[in-house]
Amino acid sequence: MTETKHLLNRLPNDIGGLPADPIQRTEHELEPWEKHCHALADVLDFHKIINTEEKRRGVEALGAEMVGKLSYYERWIAAFANILFQKAILTPGELARKMDEVGARWELDNAERTS
Amino acid sequence: MTDKPPRRIAGIVAATGETPIFEVGGRVKVMTRAPVGHYRVPTYLRGKVGVVDAVIEPAAVDNEEEAYGRNAGSRRHYYRISVPMTSIWPGYAGSPRDDLRIEVFETWLERI
Amino acid sequence: MSDHDHQHPHAEIVHAERPGYYDIMETAVRELLIEKHLFGPEEIRRQIEVLDSRTPALGAKVVARAWIDPEFRSRLLADGRAGCEELGITFYDDTQLIVLENTDAVHNLIVCTLCSCYPRPVLGLPPDWYKLKAYRSRAVYEPRAVLAEFGTHIPDDVEVRVSDSTAIVRYLVLPKRPDGTEHYSEEQLAALVTRDAMIGVIPVTIGSGQ
Repeated sequence: MTETKHLLNRLPNDIGGLPADPIQRTEHELEPWEKHCHALADVLDFHKIINTEEKRRGVEALGAEMVGKLSYYERWIAAFANILFQKAILTPGELARKMDEVGARWELDNAERTS
Repeated sequence: MTDKPPRRIAGIVAATGETPIFEVGGRVKVMTRAPVGHYRVPTYLRGKVGVVDAVIEPAAVDNEEEAYGRNAGSRRHYYRISVPMTSIWPGYAGSPRDDLRIEVFETWLERI
Repeated sequence: MSDHDHQHPHAEIVHAERPGYYDIMETAVRELLIEKHLFGPEEIRRQIEVLDSRTPALGAKVVARAWIDPEFRSRLLADGRAGCEELGITFYDDTQLIVLENTDAVHNLIVCTLCSCYPRPVLGLPPDWYKLKAYRSRAVYEPRAVLAEFGTHIPDDVEVRVSDSTAIVRYLVLPKRPDGTEHYSEEQLAALVTRDAMIGVIPVTIGSGQ
């Protein structure tokens, strides 16, 4: 069956020439986490822990649905997580535990602030 | 003071990838392969004919392999090629003078 | 409406709401990698400073210098990265820069159809619209319609040349110097040059800029 091969042969980001809407001149000031994410990408590339092209491939590998629904920097951090797992630098369990810890830390700080 | 052009030494063989295969002004065709996995030649460019506008120096890593962690080695040249818009898009609505410039890795190009 | 006392400025900005899922993920990834000594926290802080220091004002200075100094212009057109480095604009990655000169015969426009390649070391971060689908898909097949949406109309006898970045080269448009600026200082010229003019979607005019 070759009806699906276009899903493999055309990457979700390969959009040059596709019909599209008028340009919305959107801009936004980066949120602090987005700036951190960009700095993280640059530092990872500097050390070649994850080079910039690996990041691009990692974003593509999220697939069309995620590429369409996640925002620009959300795609980057999701791609980084996946690549770090593939390279056995992190495990999913490690990341999940750390994310819980970061969230709990905020809860604690927030409780202190509002008490 | 006479400026004599340097006399090139004969018999030197350059290694794979050292010397650009294509030259400025050369006509090239973008190959039509459709890879699975990461690629950096957009689908709209496959099979198109262009002219080399610049040879990018120095030779560099193939970014399609770099994406899988190859950070060094196997260096070849990228070429900035010029392709008329009218040859890419049927019914191109702009001026016939309009042009696209894009960099392509050596392994995606063939001489015509 | 805030009723807090403006006599006492905040010691720090605190989140009003819980950080989002991806914000937490970024913090977690960064902290784990630092714990594993893959890099230090000061590198992230430093890179944020690097990013904050890169704005379109840098590109504007490059353009203004090229307008007033023909020899610099030649060097810049021969090697864009080296030209920028002459002015102290370091390139913190492996990219090269080709500066694309707008003339009476050619109007340049830059795009990255595949992602968001952009001359960040000299212009800072790209606007959202540059990274979104509409610009990326259309700039490469209907550049004149895209330009028109920015209010820019290029005559048919002028070539519109679109550069699609896919690899190691980044691009910066060197816009045409507007008429009537013959006596402007370099600073006054730089003040006219906007980010969008260096992407190529609009020209530089006497009314543009800061």
